[in-house]
Amino acid sequence: MTEPMIRLDKLTKTYRGQPHPAVDQVSMDMPRGEIVVLVGPSGCGKTTTMELINRLIEPTSGRIFLDGEDVTNADPDALRRRIGYVIQQIGLFPHFTVAENIATVPKLLGWDKRRVGERVDELLDMVGLEPSEFRGRYPKQLSGGQRQRIGVARAMAADPPVMLMDEPFGAIDPITRDRLQNEFLRLQQQVQKTIVFVTHDIDEAIKLGDRIAILGERSQIAQFDTPAAILSNPASPYVEDFIGAGASLKRLHLSRVGDVGLDTGAPTARIDGDVAAARERLRSSGRAALLLLDADGRPQRWVDAGDLEGSDLSSAGEPVAAVVQAGATLSEALNEMLTSNAGVALVVDRSGGFQGLLDFETVMVATRSAPEFYRAAKVPS
Amino acid sequence: MDFYEYLTDNAEPLFEEAVDHVMVVAMSIGIALVLGCALGVLAHRSARLRPMILAVSSTLLTIPSLALFAMFIPLLGLGTPPAVVALVLYALLPIVRNTVVGLGSVDRGVLQAARGMGMGSWRRFLRVELPLAWPVVLTGVRVSTQVVVGIAAIAALVNGPGLGNEIFRGLRSLGSPFALNLVLGGTLGIVVVALLFDAFFILLRRVTTARGIR
Amino acid sequence: MAVDVMATPAEHSPRRALRWFGMPVFLAVVGLALYAYVSAQDLDSIEQRTLNAARLTDRVIEHLQLAALSTLIVIVIAVPLGILATRRGARFVAPVVLVLGNLGQAIPSLGLITLVVLLAGVGFKSIVFGLVAYSALPILRNTMVGLQQVDQTLVKSARGMGLSGWQTLTRIELPLAVPVILAGVRTALIINIGTATLSTFFGVQALGYVIFQGIQLDRTPVLVVGAVMASGLALLVDYLAGVVEELLTPRGL
Repeated sequence: MTEPMIRLDKLTKTYRGQPHPAVDQVSMDMPRGEIVVLVGPSGCGKTTTMELINRLIEPTSGRIFLDGEDVTNADPDALRRRIGYVIQQIGLFPHFTVAENIATVPKLLGWDKRRVGERVDELLDMVGLEPSEFRGRYPKQLSGGQRQRIGVARAMAADPPVMLMDEPFGAIDPITRDRLQNEFLRLQQQVQKTIVFVTHDIDEAIKLGDRIAILGERSQIAQFDTPAAILSNPASPYVEDFIGAGASLKRLHLSRVGDVGLDTGAPTARIDGDVAAARERLRSSGRAALLLLDADGRPQRWVDAGDLEGSDLSSAGEPVAAVVQAGATLSEALNEMLTSNAGVALVVDRSGGFQGLLDFETVMVATRSAPEFYRAAKVPS
Repeated sequence: MDFYEYLTDNAEPLFEEAVDHVMVVAMSIGIALVLGCALGVLAHRSARLRPMILAVSSTLLTIPSLALFAMFIPLLGLGTPPAVVALVLYALLPIVRNTVVGLGSVDRGVLQAARGMGMGSWRRFLRVELPLAWPVVLTGVRVSTQVVVGIAAIAALVNGPGLGNEIFRGLRSLGSPFALNLVLGGTLGIVVVALLFDAFFILLRRVTTARGIR
Repeated sequence: MAVDVMATPAEHSPRRALRWFGMPVFLAVVGLALYAYVSAQDLDSIEQRTLNAARLTDRVIEHLQLAALSTLIVIVIAVPLGILATRRGARFVAPVVLVLGNLGQAIPSLGLITLVVLLAGVGFKSIVFGLVAYSALPILRNTMVGLQQVDQTLVKSARGMGLSGWQTLTRIELPLAVPVILAGVRTALIINIGTATLSTFFGVQALGYVIFQGIQLDRTPVLVVGAVMASGLALLVDYLAGVVEELLTPRGL
């Protein structure tokens, strides 16, 4: 096995005047390029454990290795400049512009002006914010989601190999959070950092983690494994309890629509096309309904044989429902199917082009065999 | 003559001056409370008048005390009247500001509920708004009192009453052996008056604050 | 995304104009009225002696010197003390300072300065000393409060990114505390302008001298000129301090 990026060796933190250590003899290897999620109930010491890594909290005993190097006694300020850091409150400096916020660490490291400027623009691009528009803004002129992205960009500014993230999506509304999580995974695929991620939300842990450490009291590791392994084989009643009811349902978070076998045999026709040809296509397919697509291949309406009696297709049949992107999780697709009362979900690519159908049957099969999908499914396409 | 002797020898006049001091402060604060609350309510109700009322009362606090006392001499002559008027003006800002803040912090839902139960606007003000804002208003009054107790010392310069006279006498006899005793007596007397007022307000706050929000 | 950008609403221009130009215009009007009032008076010899431009200018200059010097000294003393009192390890000092300071507030300015003069002698220096003693609290307190109210997550962020303690203080904490510290400076300055009027009793002839002459000699024009000029000076300085405050507040706050 190659050298882990971060190695914690019997790390212990005891606060003065407290009988028990807050973090007790924690040892952990965090592999290069992976997202390791520390998850546990509040007060279990997960944040403390993380802050021991960049030594915002000094350990009482034990050692910390970064990329093979013992950094337990290294200069903490220099160490922290090598480690990206994002906290729940984001902590953007309100009197700095977006560009100045992002440039903080590069400036500390003495980069020249041009290099800093280029890096700022590059990072803004990377997190999907137009540099010319956002460079000069102040944090109070940003929405919550934008602040969060700037926070991530700031942490990556000096391209640190390691990032620590303490509930970075914790204070964001559920819809934005979901979007940011997906963006974050896509970004991670590009940058391949070693990320330590703290959360109390097991669903977030399952969605984001390559590996999850479920922590109990005093940061004791109850189980440290891949999400799929934890879901299918919880190591103890504590872990089982923490995962909560519906482990199989949670497994739906692990697979993405694009990675399961889609039904691509459905007959389709152009909505502005020839009715007779469509009728013929439906008949020869032996199916009950045909899907009408627009000029760009985006699904529009469902029609059956009766609907195809008329001559105008643009208002025939029923408008489509339950359209999901290939990058969505099975859980999201299932949710769409249930809410729209449709038996199938229509899977589309990022520009909305029709890819295939997903039915309940496929979802159920995927649930049972989730672990095999798991690696491939991690990153949304 | 040491300070202790001075105190025992002058206990009676000192006490009288202290009483005068308390009276002039109490009178000024009483007037300022009524006036300040009225202005505060006005400022709370009218967004248009608010900046003006606040600006004028903070301007008053900026004016040097000796100047403010002096300005009323041509109109009111020397003595207690110019002192009281000036002290009232000094006391306004904290009371007005805290009244505005206090009224502004009353939960709108509570007011809506009071309205829904059919309370008229006057009753709503007396039974709901004012009691809820009262602790904040009272804090303003307390701050005003602290300011005014100290400034009242300067009233002696326009022949006003109070412990300032003791300091002023010492000031006039600078260089004489009594000066220090006089100044110390007046100054410490004022500190004691200030602390007594403060204790009184702590007590008053306890007694007059509605139980539910104590 | 464009929808949830929160732009700061532009202030209504008439109100803004009033805020910036209201006070200077008001002071100009008061100044003109005062000039007209004095010109209309038949001044006797005593009044003429006090109320001439050169002498009045001297009074104003002395007044400003007292206030400016004492405020400067207070800043130099109280800001570093306030910083020290909020540092880790010295935090227990903060509540003590605040309680003592609040008690100190009960001491009347006239009494305090007279005591200082009694102990240190009559003259410019002891008055400055008295002013410094009396006006130290607002700056000290505001420095401490300003630093304490800096969002601790920002400090944590800064340290977590590798800023040293000193860098965190100078680049994050102090700039963010500037508005509160400046408000304290402004308060101290106004206190000093006000208290400096009392300097006339201790051998320095600032504007208080004119006022007190007016009272003692029973000359209303002298008294009015002194009182109005002292008030005008205080308002002008307060206004200028407000402008400086606005200019020095970091953008983005």
